[in-house]
Amino acid sequence: MAVSWVERVASFLRSPSRFLASTTAEVFLVELLREQRDERVTYDVKLTMLSPLCEHPTLLCPSACTGEETCLELMSVFSHCPPKYTEFRCQLLLTLTTVLVSTGCVSAHSHASRDFLELLLKLAQDTYYDPADVPSALRSTRAAACECLRELEACCPSLLSQHLELLNGLRQQENPRHHQALSGLYAVVLRNGVHLLARQAGAGPEGLKALLGGNAAVAWEAEPDSPALTDRAAPLPSVLGPSGLGPTLQTGPDCKELRSVLSSLLEESYLLTPLSQAALLHALTEVVAMVSGVSPAIFKAQLLRLLGTSKVCLFHCTLLMKAAFTDSLFSAEDEAFLLKRLVALCQHPQMSTAAQLFYTDCLVHFPENRPIGAADGGEALPVLLTPRLAASLVPTVFDEPATMLARLNVSALVHLEEHGAREGGAAGGGLAYLWEHLLLRLHVVEHGGDRAAVVTFFRASFLFLCHFGHVERHAADLRRRLCALYLRHCRLAPHVLNLADRAQDGPVRPGWAVALLRSLQGVAVSAGGDLAAVSQKDLHWHLRVLARVAEEGQIGQGSTVDFLFAVATAASPPSRNEDWRLGSDLLAVCRHLLAHPGLDALLCPLADVLQHVARHHGDTDVRDHARLYYSLLTALSREKLAGVLANGGGGANGGRQDNKRVLSAMVVESQDLTSALTIHKARTPVFHLVAKDRAGGWAEPTPAPEDDEAAAAGTEPGAPDADVLSSYRSQLLSSGAAAEIALSYELRHLDVGPAGFDRLFSLRLHFEPSAGRFAALADVCVPRLFREGASAAPPAVTLTLRPRAPYPGTLRCSAVFTAQDELTWHAALPDVHVAFRQLFKPLPVPASWGPALRLRAFERLWDEFCSDGDGGSVGEGGGGDASPDRACSLFCGRLGEAELEALLEEHFAPFRVADPGDATGHRVLLFIPPGSHVLLRIRPQEDAVQFHMATDNWRLLPHVNDFLLSVTDWEARNGVDS
Amino acid sequence: MSIRALWIITHEKGEHVSVRFSRRFPTVEYRAKSLAGSSYQAVPEDSAVLQLLLTELGLADPGKPYVAQRDDCLNQQRTPALELHVDSSAKGILWPVLVISRGPLILACLPLVEAGEPRPPLSSLLSVSQGLTLLEGLQSFLGGSEIKTDGDGLAPRLALMPSVLQQVCPLGTPLDVPQARAPSTAGVPAAAGSPRQPAWRTGQHRGRPAVNVALTETVRCMQYGDPSKQDLWDVYGTVTCKCDVEGVLPNVTVTLTLPPNGSPLQDILAHPCVTSLDSSILNASSVDDGDGSAFSGPYKFPFCPPLEPFKLCSYTSQVPVPPILGSYQLKQQQEVNHLRVSVNLKLHESVKNTFEYCEARLPFFNRVQMSIVDVKVSSGHLDVNKEKNLLVWVLGQKFPKSREVTMEGGIRFSGQLPGPVDPLCTDLTAYIKLYFKVPDLTLSGCSVDQHSVQVYSCAKPKIVTCRELQSKEYFIWNSTGPAPVSSGYYTA
Repeated sequence: MAVSWVERVASFLRSPSRFLASTTAEVFLVELLREQRDERVTYDVKLTMLSPLCEHPTLLCPSACTGEETCLELMSVFSHCPPKYTEFRCQLLLTLTTVLVSTGCVSAHSHASRDFLELLLKLAQDTYYDPADVPSALRSTRAAACECLRELEACCPSLLSQHLELLNGLRQQENPRHHQALSGLYAVVLRNGVHLLARQAGAGPEGLKALLGGNAAVAWEAEPDSPALTDRAAPLPSVLGPSGLGPTLQTGPDCKELRSVLSSLLEESYLLTPLSQAALLHALTEVVAMVSGVSPAIFKAQLLRLLGTSKVCLFHCTLLMKAAFTDSLFSAEDEAFLLKRLVALCQHPQMSTAAQLFYTDCLVHFPENRPIGAADGGEALPVLLTPRLAASLVPTVFDEPATMLARLNVSALVHLEEHGAREGGAAGGGLAYLWEHLLLRLHVVEHGGDRAAVVTFFRASFLFLCHFGHVERHAADLRRRLCALYLRHCRLAPHVLNLADRAQDGPVRPGWAVALLRSLQGVAVSAGGDLAAVSQKDLHWHLRVLARVAEEGQIGQGSTVDFLFAVATAASPPSRNEDWRLGSDLLAVCRHLLAHPGLDALLCPLADVLQHVARHHGDTDVRDHARLYYSLLTALSREKLAGVLANGGGGANGGRQDNKRVLSAMVVESQDLTSALTIHKARTPVFHLVAKDRAGGWAEPTPAPEDDEAAAAGTEPGAPDADVLSSYRSQLLSSGAAAEIALSYELRHLDVGPAGFDRLFSLRLHFEPSAGRFAALADVCVPRLFREGASAAPPAVTLTLRPRAPYPGTLRCSAVFTAQDELTWHAALPDVHVAFRQLFKPLPVPASWGPALRLRAFERLWDEFCSDGDGGSVGEGGGGDASPDRACSLFCGRLGEAELEALLEEHFAPFRVADPGDATGHRVLLFIPPGSHVLLRIRPQEDAVQFHMATDNWRLLPHVNDFLLSVTDWEARNGVDS
Repeated sequence: MSIRALWIITHEKGEHVSVRFSRRFPTVEYRAKSLAGSSYQAVPEDSAVLQLLLTELGLADPGKPYVAQRDDCLNQQRTPALELHVDSSAKGILWPVLVISRGPLILACLPLVEAGEPRPPLSSLLSVSQGLTLLEGLQSFLGGSEIKTDGDGLAPRLALMPSVLQQVCPLGTPLDVPQARAPSTAGVPAAAGSPRQPAWRTGQHRGRPAVNVALTETVRCMQYGDPSKQDLWDVYGTVTCKCDVEGVLPNVTVTLTLPPNGSPLQDILAHPCVTSLDSSILNASSVDDGDGSAFSGPYKFPFCPPLEPFKLCSYTSQVPVPPILGSYQLKQQQEVNHLRVSVNLKLHESVKNTFEYCEARLPFFNRVQMSIVDVKVSSGHLDVNKEKNLLVWVLGQKFPKSREVTMEGGIRFSGQLPGPVDPLCTDLTAYIKLYFKVPDLTLSGCSVDQHSVQVYSCAKPKIVTCRELQSKEYFIWNSTGPAPVSSGYYTA
């Protein structure tokens, strides 16, 4: 059991998430707490079992409530634990502190935190004795209690500020063997108290006095509403930040109490371990920095000891004091001395590498009394750092990489400081020394240095370029040497290209990287002279280099294409022609060339290369891609090609670098290209068609067919009645236009649509009529659709419908378009409903027909439709076959005269057939494609209007009825169906 | 001034990597979260931290010649603090992760940054030097540089880590560094009523009082035999003490003295147990021209000794000449594999001619094995190592009366097996490395007189002092080949 618990805890600590996947935090916590109470479990195992709570309290106690309960449990375990198990008891205190703080339980309303604080304060004093206690155990427990109090105070500032005097008393007791813990605790409480006091407006010496004399009762129950426990302050940041000092407390010169406390703490600081001493000194530095009444000179007595120390943390503490107090503690001589000391420490043989690096960093952030540079936290050399002083910090070939880089950086800064940014800057040997050092590093790389040596050389080169990129002599020489290096060791291509990339992005003089790439191009294409002698690997690197070079618009690519042609057509060795990797490398270059601004000049030779690869390469995948590129090159416009390639290159996320990280450029290319060339599906509609005229309004009047011949043939006024119908019908047959209706819409974005579709281009709308109602429609093209720019009219869309039956119907719509992400999308639109009224057309007669002829046609049709259903033919024309579908009907609507006039004007104006002889009746003739008619005689009666209807298609009557109901309903509210 | 988490990792040249111990400090994490605000980044689980650390240290994917994240030349690792990019966002960064790495052991910790955005300079964070001190303390506790990952030494020490951390860093705030010796051997605790005891002296010595003071000087050297290249040598000394004296706060004073014409001790660093330092002691610095009137002793170090052995102080010194002046000439003969070697070593007259050992090693890199070694030495004897790529010239305990020894002869390389490779020592770039130790000698002339050691204690202790000189990185480069050093003097 015990062993399994040790293993379980280890497994939890290794990966809490994996552990909790097989159980729950709740169960695990319950188990842990149960084992703590189990008397059969040894205290060693119990100690181990505290670790999960101690390291991941928030995982096991996700809420303050659980934290509170857990703490109460643990405190009961503590009270039952015999004092001899010191280590367990200490760990229990630490765990309690951790759980309380992490779960946010430290408050007056938490029983656990009140009880725990009381316990800690009792432990920290000598009052909590157990007869069985042994002195060393007592000491450990008390030190642990102090440490817990210190951490609680650090996490919840001012928690203990009421107890400063008590703590001071404990600290000054004659022989407190845990004086270190008490000093540390006191310093943190003091620092937090002063900090919060300094933040209060109007706080002064009285506040400070009250703070130092604070001596609340130990029993917390006495004051559960203590402000410290109710207002939980957040942990306080350091007041010695780089952005200047924190708040200050105006106290006047009289701070006797504080000064005496500080002096006594400082006097005894020597007795503390270096780490605790540094923390104490730092806290006191913060206090003195905040209290104007205490002179920093109070630290003077400690300075020599600190300046001579071999411990990093103590010397660092001195530097931080220097930063806080500048010339109020350090004279100009002190500053010079401190700097000399720091430089010596940067390379002291007794210092570890990490310490040397840290000191070197402190050197370039040296806190000067009179800083000249802007205090932006950046690197700057102290004015007093002369070249003579810095000479001991020059890099050597035996330095470790980090040390070398740090020293190269400092030496370069020193040189620049001395000689400015002058071109050449050759006055001193400094630059020459650093340059030679770089060459030594290069020598190591050239002669088979390991990976670390290679990486270090390129980092050093970059650093050198950052500082001395303006010195053309060396910049050009470095370029040349890098090319030579690449020629000898092609495998270093990624490093060289990385340097070029960084130089291009970074502070190196512009143009250097392009010049390097141009030279590399020369090196790579020169291999084309004797391809058989070039190893497969080298060829791979050459192509990688050329792919990068092809990204540079300023570099001519003629030689690259020639090289590609040579590679593509090289006969030997034959295995190369089968090599997928080589083929894809080659295509990667082509791909970049496709996007090159000088593509026009390369068009033919590049097409040759692609065609050759597409035909002759041994690998299908490579052939396919070559063919794709060939098609892209020859079929797409420059703009579209650039768009496709920009998308395909992964440009959306990091561009060049990301692309490079993929081992096989081909894979990413295919995916991105596919993405660019695929139609993506939008899940929800993006835009819709809105009828342009009144809601569901009229079709645009189709101009009547200009059939002059027909007009001339027999439609002149005065023709006989029978001829009217027959000529009407014959022209109806011959003219297809009558069967079409044109509907106008506007294309608009939906108010609530998916993001990323605000700017759309090249929209192609496709319509799918509902079964059998309309003939197939042609697609409609709209050049663009922008959401913004309300001023611009939305694009108009006119749909020309050819109904197959005279009934309303629906058009299913969809669209293909290009969105601003340059991908092509397919989206459905809301259906377009074609209402019955939208099918109405005036009688399709030639324009030459006057009102008289139209009236006559109306009368003839009326007669025909209202004649008895014996099938009597009205005319000889084919369209007028006697039909059983003819019908007459009557509809009554309650309308006044004026209302009727309005209705006629609004709904029937285009379709009225005027009869000058009949002042009371109105005739309306609705032609409904493809060939139906509805005739209305509208007669106002006393209190209603009669709509007499005649039609050649009785199936239309319900629709007409509905229509009339709808138009009269709002007029009369109570239409009566006949 | 606290750390958020700590990791102990072992590896074998980038392989078999594992987190052997880790510890998180949730209360410090709580503070970090509150102080960092929106830029807060939680510490991921160990496996993720390990991978990120290896990438930053250049140890990830040892088989791959180039990994962009690992090898980018933009990653200028010039400080002991690394940035771990937990995710690709600009905020997902753990900083400053302090790392010290030696041999198979990597120690890392994440100090608390007691400030929000923008990121403060490393040098403004006391938690960084605290973290470094803790890591170095842990490193020496775990066995310093002589650690073997699978050896007996590491595992038991790692098993002690939880209780060690409970003592030295219970809640993330480092209080002390662990003591290398077992804690049980601590002295007897002081009785009540005695004066205040230092926190670093956890008991009292009981037994025969004794004070041991050992002064070790180390000399490093680069000789090129080329007037265009500046020969360099430096000397540094360390005084190590072991004081078994009674008392809660015993007072001991060790005094270092120089001969009348000795050049002053420079860059003196003192152990924190030294109670006071005279400003004149600290004035001399190796990085400064210094003034001739500088203080030259005696150097007094009053201190209250810890119970365990400790480095009382260290210093550097500038001596006018190196103890052994050498010249090394390696010449290519007409045959490709035939080299002519000529070495001359001269012991300076001021150096005592009594060595504990002295030998010169001549390694040959980037060549096949030696086949014929036809070399004569004027003193001592010559060995060839088993791999036949190293000549070891054992000079023994004494130089001859003339204080000068020579080696002359020819070496042919026509063995079958290739020798070791060194990218630095190509062609005629070659060196001799000297290993020697001279008892009872310091180059600076510094000494600790037995009678100058003062112990204020009731019982008179036995006082033992000793001194010695040893070499380290003592190179003599072949003057006929290019030496790997920038020519000329560094004068900006």
